Amino acid sequence: MPAAEPILVVENIVKRFETQDGVLLAVDDVSFNVMPGEFVSVIGPSGCGKSTLFNVMGGLLDGYDGRVTVGGDTVRGPHASVGMIFQEESTFPWRTVVDNVAFPLEIAGMPKAERIERARHFVDLVGLDGFERRYPAELSGGMRQRVSMARTLASEPKILLMDEPFAALDEQTRLLLGDKVLQIQQDLKQTTLLITHNLTEAVQLSDRILVMTYRPGKIKRIVEIKLPRPRTSEIVSSDDFGRYVAQIWADLREEASKGLKDDESRVARDGGRRA
Amino acid sequence: MAAEPWLNPVTRLRVIILVTILVIWEAVAASGILLREVVPSIVVIGRSLAELLFHPDLKWPVDIGIGGLRFAQQLWVPAFYWHLYVTVMEVATALVIGGSAGLAVGLALGANPFLSKAFERYLYYLGPTPKIVFFPVMIMWFGVGPESKIAMGTLSCFFPIVLSVAAGMRQIEGVLIRVGRSFRLNTWQMVTKIYLPAMREPIVNGVRLGMGVAMIGTLLAETKLSNKGVGFMIIDAYNTFDMPRMYAVLLTLFVVAIGANALVGRASRG
Repeated sequence: MPAAEPILVVENIVKRFETQDGVLLAVDDVSFNVMPGEFVSVIGPSGCGKSTLFNVMGGLLDGYDGRVTVGGDTVRGPHASVGMIFQEESTFPWRTVVDNVAFPLEIAGMPKAERIERARHFVDLVGLDGFERRYPAELSGGMRQRVSMARTLASEPKILLMDEPFAALDEQTRLLLGDKVLQIQQDLKQTTLLITHNLTEAVQLSDRILVMTYRPGKIKRIVEIKLPRPRTSEIVSSDDFGRYVAQIWADLREEASKGLKDDESRVARDGGRRA
Repeated sequence: MAAEPWLNPVTRLRVIILVTILVIWEAVAASGILLREVVPSIVVIGRSLAELLFHPDLKWPVDIGIGGLRFAQQLWVPAFYWHLYVTVMEVATALVIGGSAGLAVGLALGANPFLSKAFERYLYYLGPTPKIVFFPVMIMWFGVGPESKIAMGTLSCFFPIVLSVAAGMRQIEGVLIRVGRSFRLNTWQMVTKIYLPAMREPIVNGVRLGMGVAMIGTLLAETKLSNKGVGFMIIDAYNTFDMPRMYAVLLTLFVVAIGANALVGRASRG
């Protein structure tokens, strides 16, 4: 197999924030690569700087040290080859499902008939056929998140960044949407970087998992997930799956408890005024 | 269940209240407790209303040119329509000027925390100030014609529109802005594809409030110093002690105001 060039290169990212308690080191010297077609997850406890990393890679945040390159271009602001899916509800409530999905095509100047047809394809891809003319308010949270996903996929990004896209959903919906993601991943060979704090989700979907430390966020370990593909959510009941989850939890547990202690001491210090 | 009631309860209540008011009015008019001229009979007001709406007493010059054909003539119309036309044009012009200024300044204030910190507080203080106090200044600047009325209307509607636009802009979900940035929208696309549609509700509310105060400002100015417009008609009827005519003008004014509000309300639902 020829050695492919990595599509995403993250080099020595350091990001500090000014806070009222002084300077907070959020991300400390994080470097990794993502290969074309690969599915990589970044997992860590709350406060490990993973959302900061997401915003840095997406070009939505600047004022950091280090470098992010996408297909060889240094990222300075949002990059055309990067598609982002956000944690929060992000559909446009004033647009129907199909018009939401057609949004990036509209921005690209595609004629209406053509973009609606393209958009329908991506609506089908996320399994929302029949709901094209509905408004987001008429859909469930899981369906709305799929609309956001289809909208980002419609821009045909070379690399897809997802920031805890299923965090607000219940466990069952999350597993089923995971299936959807696996299937899309397989159909489109979509290079994906997923930010998550959910162990099951990370192991279910990924080829590689980067485990991050609690504040400052560094990469603690990289775990290759050698589960067979194609996968479905049924894989969560396999022994290998359990072993991976246990292995990553062993790393994560220490970091998560640091975060918990930190929260407790902050609450104690501030007399519980601030959560 | 009994048969369907003749009218639904809400409509029935409205009809009952309306009829009650008319009956009390007519009773007061007939009793002569108050001067008959101050509370005239409904019949008298009705006659005056008919005259107002249907008696042609003004020459309205019409000048239409289509190709080589020219149609220039003076039509006899009831003067009311001409006065109404003057007022509607004044309010509409005021709303266009004050509305676009309010929208532009509101967007700037909403987008820029520095500007907002510097100026928005003063807009809040100035907003509820009665604008009629500026009328003498407006007369000096713009004269006694429609221009000073438009200036009053503009001044009135600017404030509610600018404040609701600025507040509406700050209420937009931050993630929608980030979605726009991630799709690399330029400033114009950000405004037209994200900010404006996301702010539709506060903008329509601002325009609705703005239209109300623009009407107040314009009509108030017309009653103070003018020789045309519906406000002038009202004060003219009052000055000549033609109370039935004054009530008739007021009634038509209510109808116009309700219609205009309904129109904006419909626009808000799309």
